[in-house]
Amino acid sequence: MKRNTQTLPISIDAQQLVVTLNNKKILNNLSFQVSSGEVYALLGGNGAGKSTALKTLLGFHKPVSGQAVIEGLAVSTSLSAIRKKIAYLPENASLYPHLNAFENIEYFLSLAAVHKTHAEIKISLQQVNLQQDAWQKPLSKFSKGMRQKTAIALALLRDSPILLLDEPTSGLDPVAIDEFNQLVMSLAKQGAAILMVTHDVYGACQVAQRIGLLRDGALVGEFVADGGHQIDTEQVHKAFTAGVID
Amino acid sequence: MKQNLQSIQPVIMWKIARDEWRYWFRSKLAVVALLIGLTCTMLTVVVSVGDAFELEHQRGHAQQQSEQTFVNQPDRHPHRMVHYGHYVFKTPPPLGMVDPGVDSHTGNTIFLEGHRQNSATFADQKQSSGTTILGALTPAFVLQVLAPLLLVIMGYGVVSRERETQTLSILAAQGLGYGNLILGKISALLLVAMLMLLPLAISGIVVLSQGESLLTLSLFLVGYLLYLSIWILIIVSISLWAKSNSVSFSTLAFTWLVLCILMPRVATTVAGVMVPAAGKLEKDFAVVAELRQLGDGHNAKDKAFVQLEAELLKKHKVNRVEDLPLNFRGFVALKSEAEITSILNRYAEDRMHEELRQSFFARQFGWLSPQVALRTLSMLTAGTGLETHHRFLRETENLRFNFVQRLNQAHTNKLNYIDDMNRNKSEAAGQIARISAKNWNVIEGFKFRSSPSKERALQAMTPLAQLLLWFGMFGLFLRNLQRHYS
Ligand SMILES: Nc1ncnc2c1ncn2[C@@H]1O[C@H](COP(=O)(O)OP(=O)(O)O)[C@@H](O)[C@H]1O
Ligand SMILES: [Mg+2]
Repeated sequence: MKRNTQTLPISIDAQQLVVTLNNKKILNNLSFQVSSGEVYALLGGNGAGKSTALKTLLGFHKPVSGQAVIEGLAVSTSLSAIRKKIAYLPENASLYPHLNAFENIEYFLSLAAVHKTHAEIKISLQQVNLQQDAWQKPLSKFSKGMRQKTAIALALLRDSPILLLDEPTSGLDPVAIDEFNQLVMSLAKQGAAILMVTHDVYGACQVAQRIGLLRDGALVGEFVADGGHQIDTEQVHKAFTAGVID
Repeated sequence: MKQNLQSIQPVIMWKIARDEWRYWFRSKLAVVALLIGLTCTMLTVVVSVGDAFELEHQRGHAQQQSEQTFVNQPDRHPHRMVHYGHYVFKTPPPLGMVDPGVDSHTGNTIFLEGHRQNSATFADQKQSSGTTILGALTPAFVLQVLAPLLLVIMGYGVVSRERETQTLSILAAQGLGYGNLILGKISALLLVAMLMLLPLAISGIVVLSQGESLLTLSLFLVGYLLYLSIWILIIVSISLWAKSNSVSFSTLAFTWLVLCILMPRVATTVAGVMVPAAGKLEKDFAVVAELRQLGDGHNAKDKAFVQLEAELLKKHKVNRVEDLPLNFRGFVALKSEAEITSILNRYAEDRMHEELRQSFFARQFGWLSPQVALRTLSMLTAGTGLETHHRFLRETENLRFNFVQRLNQAHTNKLNYIDDMNRNKSEAAGQIARISAKNWNVIEGFKFRSSPSKERALQAMTPLAQLLLWFGMFGLFLRNLQRHYS
């Protein structure tokens, strides 16, 4: 199956973003685009600015220059409309420890004014493979991976055309990672634009049509899947570690 | 319609508030704090109202008894009645049940007798039938000092907790603005505050039935609600500002310590320094020295009364005291009491003036601590402040002077001078130097009334302004903080 991502509408458009925090330039002229139906992986080491990039797209940080555009709307001016379109999975996502998985999802969905039936929530919890006997337990009793799964289920239930995932597979076991990657790919096939932040080269190559290599807040390279083939892990790995070594 | 992140959405606020309550119910600390708060306010209100009725009953009884025993004394020498004396009781105003104010240390019982002004005794705490600890724990104290601490314990994490667990960004990602989040958290805490105030509001029915006006009761309740609201604004502001839970809690605990514990003490200390009062002992010596110059009113032959005697003889154109148409000993007692009283009153007025000036300074600390502001507002509206106590002292002094002088008058007019002079010669002579018990009916019925409600409301305007300033200040502060984070 051959897909040409360039013909699909651009969902996420980061245009020369410059973000400074505490007088430190964290994002330095960062530009990239993600189309709907595409998985884009932003790959970078610790402190490269990956999380900051996602937060800027959500409007949590305001760029000093450049702008972020989501489905044609500038983030700076249409904050509320944009947050309705985006499902965001923060790094080390943890929902409320005092609520169980069900209550958490119901509560956060209700704040987003998204209405889902019990059955729909169940399906989503099954999709992320959260064991059923845990559904009614408070999250304070969950492992990191289980909490991550709950947060992912919430993100999925938002039915958002755009997903911003900050290291979604951290804390998951290898089986769960594989399942999650499958899920991400199927969502993209259904037309979602998925921006995933990770430092896991293998995972990125497995799911992403394109990979942007981020270093010190700027893109230093981009890799594109060639037709139906995955991006070459070796090549990405080399580029990634090259920067780290020197 | 475009929805702005800043727009206020009551449904969302309600959801946030409800979840906060759910959190409190599932976290033990918050439940314990809530239970302590509710139990304390409820218990103190119930105990105080019960105590008040009990005391009122006792007082009424004692007042009547005191008057009865006085009137029922047998025929006697009138001056023995002057020293026999009489008790009067200060009926606390209806709101005194919840805020005894200065009564808890000034006392509310006073012994009236000749030649002296006793200070009020029997502070509530000693008189209270409840256990001592509950006697000291008045509803006013619980709501002014304890309730803020409990609100701090329950509320320090309302925002900082979410920041620490990063749920703040998940909330924001659901399209929730800081404005709605903060208003929701405020509503949750406001509900706690109102629950804590509920026993007070319910006791308001009793208070109204005791004759308190709706105006003062409303002002009283509004003051407390405003005060707890100020604390809620402080708590949410600091929880929003703090980087972590522990920073939020320690900052708030410190703030509580300063505003509720330290400031009231500092206020009293500073007031004492600003208006230095001569020591009580010093003043007592000064009074005694001045009184000594008057001569002893019991001894008509005292040098001090030589001139008085001469004038009186001249006026009645007689040569001997025995020939006067009145009892010179009684006349001396009358004069001497008037002079003593005028000196005592001068000192008393001085002292009251000093106390008022001190409390004026202490009350200015309401600009620096909402607790001081509320304490003042609460006492003034309840009618248990210093001003009311002073009025009690003046009214009882008036009562004292009147009955003593009526007895002295009877002494002057109804007892023969020669009989009087011979009273100690023999048992029989003592029997003769007496007047009829009919003369003991000299005590005016005494009932202490609270000041008019309008007057009290007016007095409470300054502390009310102080509270409003605090409220406005932190309201604005929180608003700016919220804008900053949005
Ligand atoms: N709120 C903030 N204030 C100041 N500096 C920040 C803030 N958030 C992140 N940073 C800094 O920005 C840099 C990039 O952070 P981040 O985007 O979290 O990196 P990554 O997600 O790629 O590991 C780091 O050096 C971090 O210390
Ligand atoms: Mg990160």
